[in-house]
Amino acid sequence: MEAESEPLPLDILITNVVCVFRVRCHLDLRHIALKGANVMYKRDEGKVVMKLRRPRVTATIWSSGKIISTGATSEDEAKIGARKCARCLQKLGFQVRFGAFRVVNVLAVCSMPFEIRLPDFTKQQRPLASYEPELHPAVNFKIKPLTASMQIFSTGSITITASNVARAAQAVEHVYPLVFASRKGT
Amino acid sequence: MAATAAVTVSAPRPHPITKIHCPSHPEAVLVEDYRAGDMICPECGLVVGDRMIDVGSEWRTFSNDHVGKDPSRVGDAQNPLLNGGDLSTVIGKGTGAASFDEFGNSKYQNRRAMTSQDRAMLTAFREINTMADRINLPRNIVDRTNNLFKQVYEQRCLKGRSNDAIASACLYIACRQEGVPRTFKEICAVSRISKKEIGRCFKLILKALETSVDLITTGDFMSRFCSNLGLPKAVQIAATHIARCAVDLDLVPGRSPISVAAAAIYMASQASADKRTQKEIGDIAGVADVTIRQSYRLLYFKAAELFPPDFKFDTPVDKLPQL
Repeated sequence: MEAESEPLPLDILITNVVCVFRVRCHLDLRHIALKGANVMYKRDEGKVVMKLRRPRVTATIWSSGKIISTGATSEDEAKIGARKCARCLQKLGFQVRFGAFRVVNVLAVCSMPFEIRLPDFTKQQRPLASYEPELHPAVNFKIKPLTASMQIFSTGSITITASNVARAAQAVEHVYPLVFASRKGT
Repeated sequence: MAATAAVTVSAPRPHPITKIHCPSHPEAVLVEDYRAGDMICPECGLVVGDRMIDVGSEWRTFSNDHVGKDPSRVGDAQNPLLNGGDLSTVIGKGTGAASFDEFGNSKYQNRRAMTSQDRAMLTAFREINTMADRINLPRNIVDRTNNLFKQVYEQRCLKGRSNDAIASACLYIACRQEGVPRTFKEICAVSRISKKEIGRCFKLILKALETSVDLITTGDFMSRFCSNLGLPKAVQIAATHIARCAVDLDLVPGRSPISVAAAAIYMASQASADKRTQKEIGDIAGVADVTIRQSYRLLYFKAAELFPPDFKFDTPVDKLPQL
């Protein structure tokens, strides 16, 4: 990149990975609620929330067999957590078949080594960036082709939401030169 | 009738107003004789055009005249941009004794069936008018708001949202577009919708209409806040200068321009003879006490550089309150 002499290592911390998968069989939520461990039964909403300890994930289970798992810190961990959840359900007696695992959403946090001038940045990135200081102190920046959106704060922290980890990394790479141009200092 | 032969199509210099002119005096401006309906050339007296139709009004109408006496056969001026030009006619109210039944009610009830769309739009326009009236917004902003609302309403993207919320958001956008932004809190004050909902609708409308608005600056609010606080012009100028320098030097990163403006006003007023408390400024600006304090602390560092050079200090810079 023209802006820097050597590639700067930027730490992108993944804070949350959301994934969906199916167990390919109907589940009796009441049975899970009574016999399962570490579960919460939300009868009004028709779902069971199971919290696992080791990959610290929270799985939301519906009676149709569709499950959403959140809270993992990497894609692999998400898969492990999902399989653990399926195993728990298998132990409860259901004919579980793990399938259709898909990472839906990834939230990552990244911190730039410099502060950012938000009004400058917004002016340059007009339609894609939206900055309303009265509503939120960060700039909302959307990258259309990557379907990634990020919130850029004036301290230099960036929160990225993308459909998978690779895209999140690409989004950071994409936005780095733009943000570098509106940095504070020097 | 000899004059009609004088109407030439291939005139060398066509008249700007009338297409006919005197053959011998093409440059002469024709005089209209309204009694006979003639156009007469003032140079030679030739009657150039006859049977000119007078397009003036037949009678005069005054606003304090009784409605029944007005022989006008046309109704109010329409607002075709906003209502879609409804040209239907209705049966008029009865005037004779036969049109009233025994209780004095009219026998024919004129049920105007407006489309629900029109009705919703008219309600919204009325609401916009009321809101704008509360904060004394000029007619051009109200018109712009009405236009925005109509565009948004016809697009139907935001159909699920409350019309009042969309109207409030349109009002906010119109103020911004006209260069006199109002804070969200000010719009909240005249609307029944919460700030969150107005903010959401605002973003949705910008996306739906594919427009964007300029960023707010501290200077946009200075004159309003200062005059509401009763501060003299010198203090207002000083506050504007302080806020602008603060933003240029980037002393207040990430702070809303409103908070910076409020803190600047506080600093300027404390340095002058008209001191205002943080609470007073917070009330006017819609900013919390502590927020002003936070922003003030950031400004206090470089207080000496922020003031304009020709400012008359009642309280010198080192005696400014340190919070």
